[in-house]
Amino acid sequence: MLRLFIAATAALWLGLAGSAMAQTVGFADAIKILAASCGADIDKYCKSATLANNGIGQCLNENASKVSAQCNTDRVRVAALLEARFAAQAAVFQVCERPARQYCPGVKPGAGHVLKCLLKAERVVGDKCNTAIDLAGYR
Amino acid sequence: MNKLISLLIAGLAVVMSASLAMAQTSLSRNEIINSLQGAQAEVEISADMLQRQAFEHIKKYPGDNSSEALPLAAQLAKLRQFNVEITFDFDSARIRPESYETIGVIADALHTPYLMGQTFFVVGHTDAKGKREYNLELSIKRAAAVRNALVTTFGVPVGSLAAVGLGEEQLRDPANPDSEINRRVQLINVGF
Repeated sequence: MLRLFIAATAALWLGLAGSAMAQTVGFADAIKILAASCGADIDKYCKSATLANNGIGQCLNENASKVSAQCNTDRVRVAALLEARFAAQAAVFQVCERPARQYCPGVKPGAGHVLKCLLKAERVVGDKCNTAIDLAGYR
Repeated sequence: MNKLISLLIAGLAVVMSASLAMAQTSLSRNEIINSLQGAQAEVEISADMLQRQAFEHIKKYPGDNSSEALPLAAQLAKLRQFNVEITFDFDSARIRPESYETIGVIADALHTPYLMGQTFFVVGHTDAKGKREYNLELSIKRAAAVRNALVTTFGVPVGSLAAVGLGEEQLRDPANPDSEINRRVQLINVGF
Protein backbone atom coordinates (compact mmCIF):
# COMPACT_ATOMS: atom_id res chain seq x y z
CA MET A 1 0.00 0.00 0.00
CA LEU A 2 2.77 2.36 1.00
CA ARG A 3 4.75 1.33 -2.06
CA LEU A 4 1.77 2.10 -4.24
CA PHE A 5 1.43 5.50 -2.58
CA ILE A 6 5.07 6.32 -3.25
CA ALA A 7 4.82 5.14 -6.85
CA ALA A 8 1.71 7.22 -7.37
CA THR A 9 3.34 10.27 -5.82
CA ALA A 10 6.44 9.79 -7.96
CA ALA A 11 4.29 9.58 -11.06
CA LEU A 12 2.54 12.78 -10.02
CA TRP A 13 5.91 14.48 -9.52
CA LEU A 14 7.21 13.35 -12.88
CA GLY A 15 4.05 14.52 -14.54
CA LEU A 16 4.30 17.92 -12.90
CA ALA A 17 7.99 18.23 -13.72
CA GLY A 18 7.31 17.26 -17.32
CA SER A 19 4.59 19.84 -17.77
CA ALA A 20 6.58 22.49 -15.92
CA MET A 21 9.51 22.11 -18.29
CA ALA A 22 7.50 22.82 -21.41
CA GLN A 23 5.33 25.49 -19.81
CA THR A 24 4.80 28.89 -21.32
CA VAL A 25 3.64 31.92 -19.37
CA GLY A 26 1.02 34.49 -20.22
CA PHE A 27 1.80 37.98 -21.51
CA ALA A 28 1.04 39.50 -18.10
CA ASP A 29 3.43 37.20 -16.25
CA ALA A 30 6.13 37.82 -18.84
CA ILE A 31 5.90 41.60 -19.06
CA LYS A 32 5.69 42.10 -15.30
CA ILE A 33 9.22 40.67 -15.08
CA LEU A 34 10.37 43.47 -17.37
CA ALA A 35 8.66 46.10 -15.21
CA ALA A 36 10.21 44.66 -12.04
CA SER A 37 13.75 44.17 -13.33
CA CYS A 38 14.00 47.10 -15.74
CA GLY A 39 11.52 49.67 -14.36
CA ALA A 40 14.25 52.01 -13.06
CA ASP A 41 16.32 51.66 -16.25
CA ILE A 42 13.24 52.28 -18.39
CA ASP A 43 12.59 55.55 -16.55
CA LYS A 44 16.24 56.52 -16.83
CA TYR A 45 17.11 55.60 -20.42
CA CYS A 46 13.80 55.10 -22.22
CA LYS A 47 11.85 58.24 -21.37
CA SER A 48 10.65 58.66 -24.92
CA ALA A 49 10.18 54.99 -25.81
CA THR A 50 6.73 53.42 -25.69
CA LEU A 51 5.44 49.95 -24.98
CA ALA A 52 4.06 49.74 -28.52
CA ASN A 53 6.11 48.11 -31.31
CA ASN A 54 8.44 46.57 -28.74
CA GLY A 55 9.79 50.08 -28.19
CA ILE A 56 10.82 49.44 -24.60
CA GLY A 57 12.60 46.19 -25.45
CA GLN A 58 14.45 47.91 -28.30
CA CYS A 59 15.45 50.86 -26.15
CA LEU A 60 16.80 48.55 -23.43
CA ASN A 61 18.68 46.65 -26.11
CA GLU A 62 20.25 49.86 -27.40
CA ASN A 63 21.24 50.80 -23.87
CA ALA A 64 22.46 47.32 -22.93
CA SER A 65 25.83 48.65 -21.79
CA LYS A 66 24.17 51.01 -19.29
CA VAL A 67 21.25 49.08 -17.82
CA SER A 68 21.60 46.84 -14.76
CA ALA A 69 22.83 43.27 -15.07
CA GLN A 70 19.50 41.96 -13.80
CA CYS A 71 17.65 43.96 -16.44
CA ASN A 72 19.94 42.67 -19.18
CA THR A 73 19.30 39.09 -18.13
CA ASP A 74 15.57 39.56 -17.85
CA ARG A 75 14.92 41.65 -20.96
CA VAL A 76 16.29 38.75 -23.03
CA ARG A 77 14.25 36.29 -20.98
CA VAL A 78 11.04 38.31 -21.38
CA ALA A 79 11.49 38.59 -25.14
CA ALA A 80 11.91 34.81 -25.28
CA LEU A 81 8.80 34.27 -23.13
CA LEU A 82 6.67 36.48 -25.39
CA GLU A 83 8.00 34.68 -28.45
CA ALA A 84 7.28 31.29 -26.88
CA ARG A 85 3.67 32.26 -26.20
CA PHE A 86 3.18 33.60 -29.75
CA ALA A 87 4.68 30.40 -31.17
CA ALA A 88 2.46 28.27 -28.94
CA GLN A 89 -0.62 30.16 -30.11
CA ALA A 90 0.39 29.83 -33.75
CA ALA A 91 0.91 26.07 -33.34
CA VAL A 92 -2.52 25.16 -31.98
CA PHE A 93 -4.39 24.83 -35.25
CA GLN A 94 -1.79 22.54 -36.74
CA VAL A 95 -1.47 20.34 -33.66
CA CYS A 96 -5.23 20.16 -33.19
CA GLU A 97 -6.15 19.88 -36.85
CA ARG A 98 -7.23 16.26 -36.72
CA PRO A 99 -9.26 16.46 -33.49
CA ALA A 100 -10.84 19.66 -34.83
CA ARG A 101 -11.95 17.82 -37.97
CA GLN A 102 -13.10 14.81 -35.98
CA TYR A 103 -14.88 16.44 -33.07
CA CYS A 104 -15.80 19.89 -34.37
CA PRO A 105 -17.11 19.33 -37.90
CA GLY A 106 -19.56 21.98 -39.02
CA VAL A 107 -18.37 24.45 -36.40
CA LYS A 108 -17.96 27.70 -38.27
CA PRO A 109 -14.35 28.84 -38.35
CA GLY A 110 -13.25 32.14 -36.86
CA ALA A 111 -14.09 34.05 -33.68
CA GLY A 112 -12.70 31.22 -31.54
CA HIS A 113 -15.59 28.85 -32.29
CA VAL A 114 -13.41 25.85 -33.16
CA LEU A 115 -11.17 26.49 -30.15
CA LYS A 116 -14.18 26.67 -27.86
CA CYS A 117 -15.37 23.36 -29.31
CA LEU A 118 -11.95 21.81 -28.66
CA LEU A 119 -12.04 23.11 -25.09
CA LYS A 120 -15.40 21.44 -24.55
CA ALA A 121 -14.10 18.22 -26.09
CA GLU A 122 -11.12 18.18 -23.71
CA ARG A 123 -11.64 14.53 -22.75
CA VAL A 124 -11.35 13.21 -26.30
CA VAL A 125 -9.07 15.55 -28.27
CA GLY A 126 -5.90 13.89 -27.00
CA ASP A 127 -2.86 14.91 -24.98
CA LYS A 128 -1.02 16.67 -27.79
CA CYS A 129 -3.92 18.96 -28.63
CA ASN A 130 -4.70 19.59 -24.97
CA THR A 131 -1.07 20.46 -24.27
CA ALA A 132 -0.98 22.79 -27.27
CA ILE A 133 -4.09 24.55 -25.96
CA ASP A 134 -2.53 24.87 -22.49
CA LEU A 135 0.72 26.27 -23.88
CA ALA A 136 -1.23 28.84 -25.88
CA GLY A 137 -3.03 30.02 -22.73
CA TYR A 138 -6.39 29.29 -24.33
CA ARG A 139 -7.98 27.38 -21.44
CA MET B 1 9.44 6.40 6.52
CA ASN B 2 7.30 8.85 8.34
CA LYS B 3 9.83 11.49 7.50
CA LEU B 4 9.62 10.63 3.82
CA ILE B 5 5.88 10.93 3.85
CA SER B 6 5.94 14.29 5.55
CA LEU B 7 8.59 15.44 3.08
CA LEU B 8 6.38 14.38 0.22
CA ILE B 9 3.45 16.16 1.77
CA ALA B 10 5.52 19.30 2.24
CA GLY B 11 6.52 19.01 -1.42
CA LEU B 12 2.90 18.73 -2.44
CA ALA B 13 2.06 21.78 -0.36
CA VAL B 14 4.67 23.78 -2.26
CA VAL B 15 3.26 22.64 -5.58
CA MET B 16 -0.23 23.52 -4.44
CA SER B 17 0.69 27.01 -3.33
CA ALA B 18 2.52 27.55 -6.62
CA SER B 19 -0.59 26.60 -8.58
CA LEU B 20 -2.67 28.81 -6.30
CA ALA B 21 -0.47 31.73 -7.22
CA MET B 22 -1.02 30.94 -10.88
CA ALA B 23 -4.73 30.73 -10.29
CA GLN B 24 -4.64 34.28 -8.95
CA THR B 25 -3.16 35.65 -12.16
CA SER B 26 -5.67 33.75 -14.25
CA LEU B 27 -8.44 35.02 -11.98
CA SER B 28 -7.94 38.60 -13.07
CA ARG B 29 -7.68 37.45 -16.68
CA ASN B 30 -10.89 35.55 -16.15
CA GLU B 31 -12.45 38.56 -14.47
CA ILE B 32 -11.92 40.50 -17.69
CA ILE B 33 -13.20 37.60 -19.78
CA ASN B 34 -16.31 37.19 -17.64
CA SER B 35 -17.11 40.88 -17.77
CA LEU B 36 -16.61 41.17 -21.51
CA GLN B 37 -17.94 37.96 -22.99
CA GLY B 38 -21.50 37.38 -24.07
CA ALA B 39 -21.99 40.11 -26.67
CA GLN B 40 -24.95 39.01 -28.72
CA ALA B 41 -24.65 40.98 -31.91
CA GLU B 42 -22.82 43.85 -33.48
CA VAL B 43 -23.69 47.26 -32.13
CA GLU B 44 -24.53 50.20 -34.34
CA ILE B 45 -22.00 52.52 -32.76
CA SER B 46 -18.80 53.43 -34.51
CA ALA B 47 -15.70 54.63 -32.71
CA ASP B 48 -15.62 57.71 -34.95
CA MET B 49 -19.20 58.57 -34.06
CA LEU B 50 -18.44 58.33 -30.35
CA GLN B 51 -15.27 60.36 -30.72
CA ARG B 52 -17.11 63.09 -32.62
CA GLN B 53 -19.76 63.29 -29.90
CA ALA B 54 -17.11 64.11 -27.30
CA PHE B 55 -15.89 67.10 -29.34
CA GLU B 56 -19.43 68.28 -30.06
CA HIS B 57 -20.31 67.91 -26.41
CA ILE B 58 -17.76 70.53 -25.37
CA LYS B 59 -19.16 73.01 -27.89
CA LYS B 60 -22.76 72.29 -27.05
CA TYR B 61 -22.33 72.45 -23.26
CA PRO B 62 -19.39 74.77 -22.70
CA GLY B 63 -18.06 75.58 -19.25
CA ASP B 64 -15.71 74.15 -16.69
CA ASN B 65 -17.45 70.81 -16.39
CA SER B 66 -20.18 69.18 -18.41
CA SER B 67 -23.35 68.38 -16.56
CA GLU B 68 -24.89 66.44 -19.43
CA ALA B 69 -24.35 62.84 -20.47
CA LEU B 70 -23.11 62.02 -23.95
CA PRO B 71 -25.95 61.07 -26.33
CA LEU B 72 -24.49 57.56 -26.72
CA ALA B 73 -23.86 57.05 -22.98
CA ALA B 74 -27.04 55.09 -22.23
CA GLN B 75 -26.49 52.80 -25.19
CA LEU B 76 -22.86 52.18 -24.21
CA ALA B 77 -23.81 51.45 -20.60
CA LYS B 78 -25.80 48.42 -21.75
CA LEU B 79 -22.78 46.75 -23.34
CA ARG B 80 -20.42 44.20 -21.77
CA GLN B 81 -17.52 46.18 -20.32
CA PHE B 82 -14.66 46.33 -17.88
CA ASN B 83 -12.77 49.20 -16.25
CA VAL B 84 -9.04 49.12 -15.68
CA GLU B 85 -6.65 51.60 -14.18
CA ILE B 86 -3.55 52.25 -16.19
CA THR B 87 -1.00 54.79 -15.06
CA PHE B 88 0.81 57.07 -17.47
CA ASP B 89 3.61 59.57 -17.11
CA PHE B 90 2.33 62.98 -16.04
CA ASP B 91 0.78 64.90 -18.96
CA SER B 92 1.88 62.12 -21.29
CA ALA B 93 0.56 59.04 -23.06
CA ARG B 94 3.56 56.95 -22.02
CA ILE B 95 2.41 53.90 -20.07
CA ARG B 96 4.22 53.50 -16.74
CA PRO B 97 6.14 50.23 -16.14
CA GLU B 98 3.89 49.45 -13.15
CA SER B 99 0.98 49.13 -15.57
CA TYR B 100 2.70 46.75 -18.02
CA GLU B 101 1.20 43.79 -16.21
CA THR B 102 -2.31 45.22 -16.61
CA ILE B 103 -1.76 45.62 -20.35
CA GLY B 104 -0.50 42.02 -20.40
CA VAL B 105 -3.58 40.75 -18.55
CA ILE B 106 -5.83 42.50 -21.09
CA ALA B 107 -3.80 40.88 -23.88
CA ASP B 108 -4.09 37.47 -22.22
CA ALA B 109 -7.87 37.89 -22.01
CA LEU B 110 -8.31 39.15 -25.58
CA HIS B 111 -6.28 36.24 -26.98
CA THR B 112 -8.53 33.58 -25.48
CA PRO B 113 -11.20 31.82 -27.57
CA TYR B 114 -13.83 33.42 -25.33
CA LEU B 115 -13.12 36.92 -26.66
CA MET B 116 -11.37 36.14 -29.94
CA GLY B 117 -12.92 37.63 -33.07
CA GLN B 118 -14.96 40.23 -31.23
CA THR B 119 -14.50 43.98 -31.45
CA PHE B 120 -13.73 46.22 -28.50
CA PHE B 121 -13.51 49.92 -27.85
CA VAL B 122 -10.59 51.03 -25.72
CA VAL B 123 -11.99 54.20 -24.15
CA GLY B 124 -9.79 56.61 -22.21
CA HIS B 125 -11.21 58.91 -19.51
CA THR B 126 -9.71 61.62 -17.33
CA ASP B 127 -10.93 63.38 -14.20
CA ALA B 128 -12.32 66.91 -14.51
CA LYS B 129 -9.23 68.79 -13.35
CA GLY B 130 -7.90 71.13 -16.00
CA LYS B 131 -9.34 72.16 -19.35
CA ARG B 132 -11.86 69.95 -21.08
CA GLU B 133 -10.25 70.27 -24.51
CA TYR B 134 -6.87 69.38 -23.08
CA ASN B 135 -8.25 66.38 -21.21
CA LEU B 136 -10.01 65.17 -24.34
CA GLU B 137 -6.82 65.31 -26.40
CA LEU B 138 -4.80 63.59 -23.67
CA SER B 139 -7.35 60.80 -23.30
CA ILE B 140 -7.34 60.22 -27.07
CA LYS B 141 -3.55 59.83 -27.01
CA ARG B 142 -3.67 57.54 -23.98
CA ALA B 143 -6.38 55.29 -25.41
CA ALA B 144 -4.34 55.05 -28.61
CA ALA B 145 -1.21 54.18 -26.62
CA VAL B 146 -3.00 51.29 -24.92
CA ARG B 147 -4.46 50.05 -28.19
CA ASN B 148 -1.12 50.35 -29.98
CA ALA B 149 0.73 48.40 -27.28
CA LEU B 150 -1.89 45.63 -27.44
CA VAL B 151 -1.93 45.29 -31.23
CA THR B 152 1.84 45.41 -31.70
CA THR B 153 3.89 44.14 -28.75
CA PHE B 154 1.12 41.80 -27.58
CA GLY B 155 -0.17 40.65 -30.96
CA VAL B 156 -3.87 41.39 -30.49
CA PRO B 157 -5.47 41.48 -33.98
CA VAL B 158 -5.47 45.08 -35.27
CA GLY B 159 -9.09 45.01 -36.38
CA SER B 160 -10.42 43.99 -32.99
CA LEU B 161 -9.59 47.21 -31.14
CA ALA B 162 -10.66 50.81 -31.72
CA ALA B 163 -9.36 53.62 -29.50
CA VAL B 164 -11.57 56.47 -28.33
CA GLY B 165 -10.84 59.27 -25.87
CA LEU B 166 -13.68 60.88 -23.97
CA GLY B 167 -11.68 63.18 -21.68
CA GLU B 168 -13.90 64.31 -18.84
CA GLU B 169 -17.08 64.14 -20.93
CA GLN B 170 -18.32 60.92 -19.35
CA LEU B 171 -17.34 60.91 -15.70
CA ARG B 172 -17.71 57.74 -13.69
CA ASP B 173 -18.62 59.75 -10.60
CA PRO B 174 -20.23 63.03 -11.73
CA ALA B 175 -20.80 64.06 -8.09
CA ASN B 176 -17.02 64.05 -7.57
CA PRO B 177 -15.68 65.29 -10.89
CA ASP B 178 -12.10 65.76 -9.69
CA SER B 179 -11.89 62.35 -8.05
CA GLU B 180 -9.31 59.94 -9.44
CA ILE B 181 -12.00 57.27 -9.73
CA ASN B 182 -12.90 59.04 -12.97
CA ARG B 183 -9.50 58.25 -14.50
CA ARG B 184 -9.85 54.92 -16.20
CA VAL B 185 -9.59 52.93 -19.36
CA GLN B 186 -12.79 51.20 -20.32
CA LEU B 187 -12.93 48.13 -22.50
CA ILE B 188 -16.30 47.80 -24.18
CA ASN B 189 -17.38 44.81 -26.24
CA VAL B 190 -19.15 46.06 -29.35
CA GLY B 191 -19.79 42.59 -30.72
CA PHE B 192 -18.76 40.48 -33.66
